[in-house]
Amino acid sequence: MSEAIPHLVVRSVSKKYGPTTILDHIDLTVRRGELVTLLGPSGCGKTTLLRAIAGLAQPDTGKVELAGRDITNVPPHKRNVGVVFQSYALFPHLTVAGNVAFGLKVRGAAKREIDAAVERALSLVKLGHLGGRRISALSGGQQQRVALARAIAVEPDVLLFDEALSALDRKLREEMQVELRRLLQEVKATAIFVTHDQDEALTMSDRVAVMNKGRIEQLAEPRELYLRPASLFALNFVGLSTRISGTVLAADNGKVDVETGVGRLSALGNFQAGSSVIVAARPEQLRISEQGEANSAAGRVRSVVFQGSRTLVEVDAGAGESLLAELSGRDGAVPRVHDEIRLSWPVAETFAFPMEAQV
Amino acid sequence: MTEAALPAPMAAPSVDRERLAAFGFVLPSVVIIAGVFALPLVLLLGVSIVDANGLTFAHYKRLLGSPYYLGVIWNSLRLGLLTTTIAFLISYPAAFALARARGALRSLLLATLFLPLAASVIVKAFAWTILLRSDGIVNETLIALGIIEDPIRMIFTETALIVGAVNIFLPFMILPIYAIVAQLDSRYAEAAATLGASPLVTFVRVILPLTLPGIIAGVALVFSLSVSAYVVPTLLIGEKYPTLATTIAKAYLLTREPGFGAAAGVVLLAIAIAVVTLSARMSREPK
Repeated sequence: MSEAIPHLVVRSVSKKYGPTTILDHIDLTVRRGELVTLLGPSGCGKTTLLRAIAGLAQPDTGKVELAGRDITNVPPHKRNVGVVFQSYALFPHLTVAGNVAFGLKVRGAAKREIDAAVERALSLVKLGHLGGRRISALSGGQQQRVALARAIAVEPDVLLFDEALSALDRKLREEMQVELRRLLQEVKATAIFVTHDQDEALTMSDRVAVMNKGRIEQLAEPRELYLRPASLFALNFVGLSTRISGTVLAADNGKVDVETGVGRLSALGNFQAGSSVIVAARPEQLRISEQGEANSAAGRVRSVVFQGSRTLVEVDAGAGESLLAELSGRDGAVPRVHDEIRLSWPVAETFAFPMEAQV
Repeated sequence: MTEAALPAPMAAPSVDRERLAAFGFVLPSVVIIAGVFALPLVLLLGVSIVDANGLTFAHYKRLLGSPYYLGVIWNSLRLGLLTTTIAFLISYPAAFALARARGALRSLLLATLFLPLAASVIVKAFAWTILLRSDGIVNETLIALGIIEDPIRMIFTETALIVGAVNIFLPFMILPIYAIVAQLDSRYAEAAATLGASPLVTFVRVILPLTLPGIIAGVALVFSLSVSAYVVPTLLIGEKYPTLATTIAKAYLLTREPGFGAAAGVVLLAIAIAVVTLSARMSREPK
């Protein structure tokens, strides 16, 4: 129905702090009900972009539109956004229910309406029985849920999560990722997550925006982001890869032949002959067995790391280059350290990126 | 290593040992407080209700029954309340400014706050008399600038008293509030804003309650200091504004009525304790 209508639109938003550019003409469109992650290293501008959407940071240029309204110059308390902070920022002088009720109270809602909304929000995060507790009496995971309930209770047009799960320990965080995604889909919330955790980004989002130096390098569905990284930065930031530097010998219709330290390799990409490039492939594409029309390179096994469902094999291919292969449990014999092996991988899964973009 | 060598028997008595150690740590302060504080207070109470003929409440009747001494008590309360209120109004925004300041400015502001604490109250009160007297710096300046023709009477007025008291006790209000404000996470205000609270509502519902412990500490300190101040009223306003503190001094030093002085001391103490207890209770119970 209204699925395709843009719900949140960020148009050419820029922000500078002194001489440092934090956001560099960011464009982002989020559909109603969509879960989008801003993924990037610290300092990439992801938190500033989130704060610009919330109204907590004023952009120097550009526009922000939410639910068909230009909110660029609207103060935060009139934007109808919900923010879950990394530190949760729960009010310590109020109870759990008092925190969840806060947004409705300051909007002047009727008491009966507030009570019903608080009960609904708390039961949604499975804390219905803790309404009377003080914040300091809660565990970190429970505080996280209260912060979520508080943000949801006002039925905001968009929910913004600023590294909201990063304070939890690993196991709890992974559980919350799945639960949070289910919960947000249940209430049909539009949400933006800010994180530096690629697993969180891939698990929680419909689309991921990889950010670097104040720009969005790639905005794509998690699967596409992993399989078809648009830049060397996106490749490096999400998942593991083999990366070999070389020089383009010949280019032909989206394909290039590259001379590298480990031999001649073919890759997808558009470059002129003579360009310096990085040739890359995901580790699960590298096999010990021969593959037809494939790149291949040989070397000595440097390390073998068993990780349960998969085994990572790192091979020293000489000339300072190394290869990383991920062997699944079905791949049969696993090589041992110091074995001489040859790895091959399909050309269609090999990418070339310009050298200078390396971070 | 054999089993006998393991320090197993240590486990049980260690709790008692910890308690004993804790007791040892507080013992010196208990001795000092009991010896130089609690004991004299009990004696003070005793002197105020016992005279040569035995038990008597005559001193309290005189103190609480005459319009003059009720006026004295009111003067003390008025000094305490005015000083505390004005000091709070100045200190609250100042504490925020101090917490926001960075680098050299912050060091400078903190220094201006701490340095006066090193000077004696007498010195500071005298400094005010020099500033405010008829041929003082303030009057001379105003006359030199042609703003006034004759000196304004400033010293020995209630205004002078309150101005001096606020100035002298100000650090005791700013510092406890600053200590709370400096630790206040700016995310609280941001969270309130995103939940729909205007800056004013955020202040009333979030900032004020969260800084309340600092306010209460500052109010308790400044009130108990100013309600019992002796030097400040003596130097800045004198005889015409008798307070409980000056009455006590007069009873002991001039009229030689230790029983009456003790009773005035007990009343003053009761006022101070009431205010401190009340504020301690307020800070313990979040609304």
